[in-house]
Amino acid sequence: MRTWSLLALALSGLLVAGELSSADAAADKDTLVIALDTLGAQVMDPIMDTRAPHAHYHAPIWDSLVGFDLENGGIGPGAAERWELASDGKSWTFYLRKGQRFHNGDPVTANDVKFSLERVMSPESISSGAAALRRAVDRIEVVDDLTVRVYTKGVIPQFAASLSRAVFMEGSVMPKKYIETVGARGFRDKPVGSGPWKFVRSVPGDRIEYEAVTYPHWRGTPQFKRLTLLLVPEQSTRLAMVRTGEAAIASIGPEAVKEARAGGMKIVSVPGTMQAVYQFWGLYRPEAKASPLNDVRVREALSLAIDRQQIIDHVMVKEARWPMPFAAFKYSSDMTVPRWEDWARTALRYDPARAKQLLAEAGHGSGFKMTFWNTALPGTPFMVPIGEAVAGFWEKIGVKVEMKTVEWGAFDPMGRGEQKGLVGTASMYRTAGRPEPIPRYATTFVSKGVQHVFGDPQSCPALCVDADKAYEAIVAEKDDAKRTAATNRMIELVAKSWIAVPIVEGMGTWAVNPKSVGYFKPIPGRHEFGDVTERMPRPEAKPWP
Amino acid sequence: MQRFILRRLAQSVLLLFVLALIIFALARVSGNPADLLLREDATQEDRAHLLRALGLDRPVHEQLYLFLSGALRGDLGESIRYRKPATEVFFERLPNTLQLLPLAMVGALVVAIPLGVLAAVYRGTIVDRISGAVAVLGIATPSFWLGIVLIYVFSIKLGLLPSSRMGGPSHYVLPAITLGLFLVAGMMRLVRSSLLEVMGSEFVKLARLKGLSQTVVIWKHCLRNALIPVTTLFGVYFALLITGAIVTETVFAWPGVGRLTYEAVIFRDYPLLQAVILLKGIIVLGVNLGVDIVYAYLDPRVRYA
Repeated sequence: MRTWSLLALALSGLLVAGELSSADAAADKDTLVIALDTLGAQVMDPIMDTRAPHAHYHAPIWDSLVGFDLENGGIGPGAAERWELASDGKSWTFYLRKGQRFHNGDPVTANDVKFSLERVMSPESISSGAAALRRAVDRIEVVDDLTVRVYTKGVIPQFAASLSRAVFMEGSVMPKKYIETVGARGFRDKPVGSGPWKFVRSVPGDRIEYEAVTYPHWRGTPQFKRLTLLLVPEQSTRLAMVRTGEAAIASIGPEAVKEARAGGMKIVSVPGTMQAVYQFWGLYRPEAKASPLNDVRVREALSLAIDRQQIIDHVMVKEARWPMPFAAFKYSSDMTVPRWEDWARTALRYDPARAKQLLAEAGHGSGFKMTFWNTALPGTPFMVPIGEAVAGFWEKIGVKVEMKTVEWGAFDPMGRGEQKGLVGTASMYRTAGRPEPIPRYATTFVSKGVQHVFGDPQSCPALCVDADKAYEAIVAEKDDAKRTAATNRMIELVAKSWIAVPIVEGMGTWAVNPKSVGYFKPIPGRHEFGDVTERMPRPEAKPWP
Repeated sequence: MQRFILRRLAQSVLLLFVLALIIFALARVSGNPADLLLREDATQEDRAHLLRALGLDRPVHEQLYLFLSGALRGDLGESIRYRKPATEVFFERLPNTLQLLPLAMVGALVVAIPLGVLAAVYRGTIVDRISGAVAVLGIATPSFWLGIVLIYVFSIKLGLLPSSRMGGPSHYVLPAITLGLFLVAGMMRLVRSSLLEVMGSEFVKLARLKGLSQTVVIWKHCLRNALIPVTTLFGVYFALLITGAIVTETVFAWPGVGRLTYEAVIFRDYPLLQAVILLKGIIVLGVNLGVDIVYAYLDPRVRYA
């Protein structure tokens, strides 16, 4: 009996401990709670996370040198209210907003910007864009307290965009004096930034808590007093939390939209967050010469066989849109958007009869066998069902698809280096929603690019040579109109090759409890809400329509 | 007895060494963390730089040497993802799991013992069949599904309990039930079979002949003896749950070591994965060692075998 009493006492102790530890985390009307599927590395240092989740949890604390066009997507003013490209195209001057300050009271100056960029490029940085920044930046000069000039190694028209969170986190502005005083570890334990939310605490694997600044902020002064980001890996649980009011907002996939709506939740869809594509690998290599896929008619037939509207309606539950050309979105810069919208509507149509005719003309009327790697990049699990649908459409025109579904971590290394296992096959892939399409074209089509699907420096056929030339013409061009024309040429070259083909344009989807947060608009192309929370109203201030 | 304990300890150390070798190899077979950290447009040069920064550019045998020598000093490396010592990350999360397990286990005992007793006493009747059905249900019901159903019923529909996360006493109910139902099945069957065995013993017949009531015979004399194997199983289950709470912790967003293991696998966080599995291995071996010692103490045949 004594044993049982002791056991009961111990259990009560544990429960009380649990109660105390969680009491301060309880949500209230002043706290905006967002349940997320990932908090990335949950490291409070911009140079220590490498993937998109940083935009969930870094953005509240740190401002980015270049910001967003909040209405249309793409880049806009940030910590720098404007910037200029020098006449020789080799330096960028950034003009900081006046009156910005870090959470410890220090003013934001050009010295902080110089320090931040240099810190991102430092050897200890594992920031995903660190290497690209090292390749791009020659030196950084502080002109005055509010002006900083970055000299680049050559003409890089996309340089300013690369310092926006619309692309990645390289532009985060960090406090020089504070970091030099407390050290990197001290900074990670008690991070200080200049964003609209101050860091309160980070509980690994569970949550990050913030507190709103009490002064007007250029990004918007938060209407809630506190912000809590919860890590809830299971989608059903996230959805339940929104329905019960334990969270105001939760990230969900398209498959959960119907259930969320049925439960009275509002759905916020962020357009243009990604594009699902399929692409062929190493067709230029000798071992793939005999592949039917080397015939452009076959590749076009495979695109015509896909009923994209069915995928949008049924696989993506209407939470997707008709795609633009490869890596292009409505908010893309340096390209003629209406022209490519028209092209996509026609060229990417569903026309199985024409597909069969093209296959017959190419001598493959009775079909052929092909290998198709189906995979999903982090954050977009719906790519796998899209891949299954695509394979199904190909089977309908007589192609025998050997589908290999692999986890991203296993697939990704295959696409780097010699790509031996991928030569002559197709795979699912995606392009992220970024304002500048051309860096993505360099990755996939240029001979020195990582994927080099047209050819590599040792074996570069005519299409590969053309793509290299088209790319060089774009990156060397300072004139906006000429660069747009050159970009259009590159897009056309890729579109007509049918080697990397868009399937659908994906959207980021969120379930929102209208009783917990008021109506707000996301930033087109940016799935994460790290740069939106400060403008989210209280439910009574702006009810949902 | 001393020799027996020393022999078991030596075996445990050897097992830990083998475990360390296996997890070191398996972690690397499953892929490289650099591939998950890099952007799609990262070049081979970027990859090489990242591997250098993470200390993964060294030859495998050198990495193994560093891992084993570090482990001997109690240093299991720094988590690639969290940029903190891997042991520190593990011990930050372990208390969360340890808060949940006792509840699940005590809850399971409270249900399993009466059910097992009823099944044994009313052997072959409808009561026994219902108990059997509960056991099958407990084993066959996936924790993942059960967790979601419980959330739907008790959080969304009835609004009685919070859906997830650590918190006050009410936060423990659904995860403890989810985790505990699996245990109920095994424990109940064991109570039943061991009680049936004890009920056939001579001393029980004697007790009945002495005129003791059925309640006293069963609950006082039989059950006490029947619970010895259950106690052993209890220890084994405790170790199993520390390693196997992944699903429950994921469904209920419980930041314990189960979910930490899952995260380490998904992110290919070698140091963290190695640390988590090795430390769990130490816990399991420790529990098993304890059980062995108790057994040896209770039954001399074991220690002389």
